[in-house]
Amino acid sequence: MAFAPKTQVFGSRINEVTIGVGDKSTVIGGVNVLPFYNFDEQQTIQPKIGAEISDLWPESFPAPGIASFYAGCTGMAEMAKRAETIEGVSFLCLAFEGADPNGLNKSVADCVAQAKEVAAAVEMPLVIMGCKNVEKDAELFSAMAEALQSKNVLILSAREENYKTVGASVALAYGHKVGAESAVDLNLAKQLNVIMTQLGVKPESMVMNVGSAAAGYGFEYLSSTLDRVRATALEQGDEMLQMPIVTPVSSETWSVKESMLPESEAPEWGSAEERGIEMEITTASACLAGGSDAVSLAHPESIAAIHKMITALM
Amino acid sequence: MPEVIFQYEAGGLIQVTANAGDILLDVARAANVPIDAPCSGNGACGKCRVRVLEGELDSLPSQNISDAELAEGWRLACGSRIAGDVTVLVPDIASAYQSRMKTADLSSGEEVEIFAKLMTDVKGAGVDFSNDFESVRLEMDVPTLDDTRPDNERLTDALCATLGVEQVEISFPCMCRLAEVLREDNFRVYVSGLRKGDTFVALDISAQDEPLCTVAIDIGTTTVSAVLSDLKTGKLLAKASSGNGQIRYGADVINRIVEQSRPGGRERLQKAVIHETVNPVLSALCKSASVEPRRILRLAVAGNTTMNHLFVGVSAESVRMEPYMPSFFHWDGLRAGDLGLTANSAARVVLAPNIGSYVGGDITAGTLAGLLWDRDEFTLFIDLGTNGELVFGNRDFMISCACSAGPAFEGGDISCGMRATDGAIEGVKLDTASMEPDFSIIGEAGQKPVGLCGSGIIDLISELYRVGAISSKGHFAREGRRIAYDKHGSGRYILAFPEESETGREISLNEVDIDSFIRAKGAIFSAIDTMLKSLDMDVSMIDHVLVAGGIGSGIDMKNAINIGMFPDIELEKYAYIGNSSLAGAYAISLSEHAEEKTVALAANMTYLELSTYPGYMDAFVAACFLPHTDISLFPHSVQEA
Repeated sequence: MAFAPKTQVFGSRINEVTIGVGDKSTVIGGVNVLPFYNFDEQQTIQPKIGAEISDLWPESFPAPGIASFYAGCTGMAEMAKRAETIEGVSFLCLAFEGADPNGLNKSVADCVAQAKEVAAAVEMPLVIMGCKNVEKDAELFSAMAEALQSKNVLILSAREENYKTVGASVALAYGHKVGAESAVDLNLAKQLNVIMTQLGVKPESMVMNVGSAAAGYGFEYLSSTLDRVRATALEQGDEMLQMPIVTPVSSETWSVKESMLPESEAPEWGSAEERGIEMEITTASACLAGGSDAVSLAHPESIAAIHKMITALM
Repeated sequence: MPEVIFQYEAGGLIQVTANAGDILLDVARAANVPIDAPCSGNGACGKCRVRVLEGELDSLPSQNISDAELAEGWRLACGSRIAGDVTVLVPDIASAYQSRMKTADLSSGEEVEIFAKLMTDVKGAGVDFSNDFESVRLEMDVPTLDDTRPDNERLTDALCATLGVEQVEISFPCMCRLAEVLREDNFRVYVSGLRKGDTFVALDISAQDEPLCTVAIDIGTTTVSAVLSDLKTGKLLAKASSGNGQIRYGADVINRIVEQSRPGGRERLQKAVIHETVNPVLSALCKSASVEPRRILRLAVAGNTTMNHLFVGVSAESVRMEPYMPSFFHWDGLRAGDLGLTANSAARVVLAPNIGSYVGGDITAGTLAGLLWDRDEFTLFIDLGTNGELVFGNRDFMISCACSAGPAFEGGDISCGMRATDGAIEGVKLDTASMEPDFSIIGEAGQKPVGLCGSGIIDLISELYRVGAISSKGHFAREGRRIAYDKHGSGRYILAFPEESETGREISLNEVDIDSFIRAKGAIFSAIDTMLKSLDMDVSMIDHVLVAGGIGSGIDMKNAINIGMFPDIELEKYAYIGNSSLAGAYAISLSEHAEEKTVALAANMTYLELSTYPGYMDAFVAACFLPHTDISLFPHSVQEA
């Protein structure tokens, strides 16, 4: 008798969340098998890659390869236009790190002006990331939501400390999509989703960022959280965990020693840029294998590698 | 050196010298000035507030002190350093644990009834309540030149003849009084003591017939309560309670253990519990019942493992260190005189046995009183104290565990929290639309509210959740007359505006309080969940739930289920049994058989150490939500608005 492989297709499915408008809009989530288990059932929606662009660029690029790719660009809008051309990219991630009150402390108005400029210049969906300061982010995201009305952007992220402001302005008032960010714990992730929905945010308007870590920096916690979140969503059919997972990768990987230490200081480690790319690729592939439905990356070479991986596995 | 004057709100002052730069809370502790510091001076709880009347303090800003209060001179003692001569007001609320010694009114018969019923129930389970204490009247020959036996021989001979015993031991306190008492009424006396086979131990001697007394003491981390009863009949003679004087060294057992490990700490903590707490309680009991302390011939003490170690004066350090083994589980050999207790110094002090570092004599005594060991059905016994302890089982097996709930159930760590005494709001209902409250308050009719006790907090949080005023995470989500937000956006529910409260200060429950309480209830539920899972059982197998502790008798089980504190099973299965530790100690104080039974059941109880149990942390985080992250566990929990 011929061997009949047993398939594991779940009765539950991860929500499909569409970001952006028009032809370039993209869908995140939608799967009903474990990550890349297309042998169980062929999935129509692929994991997505976002190109991350920081507002600290072009003054400080994390790697020469990124600098040379964006050579000649004078602002975020120009860089965004160029990022749109990278093969495999489905959305653009604008990281407003400069808004950090403990850093450049850029004004909300300046950030919003930059984002509007980008929105006018590109067609791809936008993801707006903040500076990790909960108060400033709440203010920034509210202003972004208003300024980018009808663009159907994704805001990353609302946290327990500011979900009321962020959830209300982003999702309720302007109908954008919002990410719910929690600290590497299944229950905390679910709790934030529950209180966001209690606030009135529809589950279909939400994605999750269940935490991120560079490979080797406590990644095993993230890995087990991703596994458990996905298993609970699919196997147990827990609706409060069926939001797609979006994991920002480059913001973690480019700030660890393995990516930053110049070759002159650690010649035995080899090229700093190669190390940085390796960290980005390793982390992103691990996240995708764990269940992330989208990742954001900065280096064009990392994007190319991850795109190749996704294409090969689909 | 700077002079520091502590002025009590209730009157009186203490003056000490200190070094510039000393922390005010440390100065207060050194001078024995009672200032509540449940967080042990970490600046977290905001309870150690004092008001500067004269001079200056070098104080750190605190979220717990508003700008208006800062301007009025309010400071946190733990965050203030001495900068020069200063006079501070110590508010009455801070010295509450000392001043609020409470002697129960037994005239209504309610309290008497509780203990009488307990005795009947425990007797019904086959425990013999008779004991070998007796009081005997002796008439001896007066010494003459022909009969020159000394007093002790005369007494021994008379006792042997009257009681038919072969040996007599005269205890030290009895010996001390012998000469005087014999001559008070011409060698006609009453001797009280204990018969052990053919030996009689004379413990006390008196000219008049006085009752034989016994005392049961429950030493809680937050509250100490005790009953004095007649050793022969079990009749309740007096009941009293007081805050545990150790509170100023930290609200929970871990902070107490940290403190006892400091130089001189063990002595300080023992002094705080014995001389400042238990002895005043014993004196109050004796005064209330009009008996002499020397008539207390037996004592039973039930307390958690840390409390009984510190009471005896034994280091509790190993309680919190892996592998979590205390210095003793069951230890016999303690006399009242060893500790300087206000009782007959030769009286035996029976300590209810511990079974683990975090399940102690209060639980073994409580289990005795709860009669789990006498039933076929499965009973879950929950003691809601500063530590939450659980016992589950029946006559065939019992398993127990403990979780750190913090002092929230006794009103600690909650800004408007208080013990279940006069002025405490013990029940709350909210109007769904207006969110206006309707209270039941402990005390006489017309009593204005002072604060919230445990049962009131459960009601309020359940009601706030039901009417949609707070989210599942405990954040405020509605606007209204009684909901206010501070400049950080943190909300609070105002139970009583200043003009509505007894103290003239607003009574409110804020998000930090709610968060503390959610952690406490999460600790309890996750412990229940984990313990049952370790047995491969679930909540549907529970036949009875006994809830004990000083949370307040008004505990509404429906509300406790609504917030996910207790399992969602039929309400009829629940019963509140009050202070079961004291009840068990009461049985032990009267009966050696009850004492043996407690030792036996303790030996048969399995102890589950949750801190090393995989999955407990996960269960805890899942339970720190209203009602629970897994809502399917609480089908009857409701949120209406």
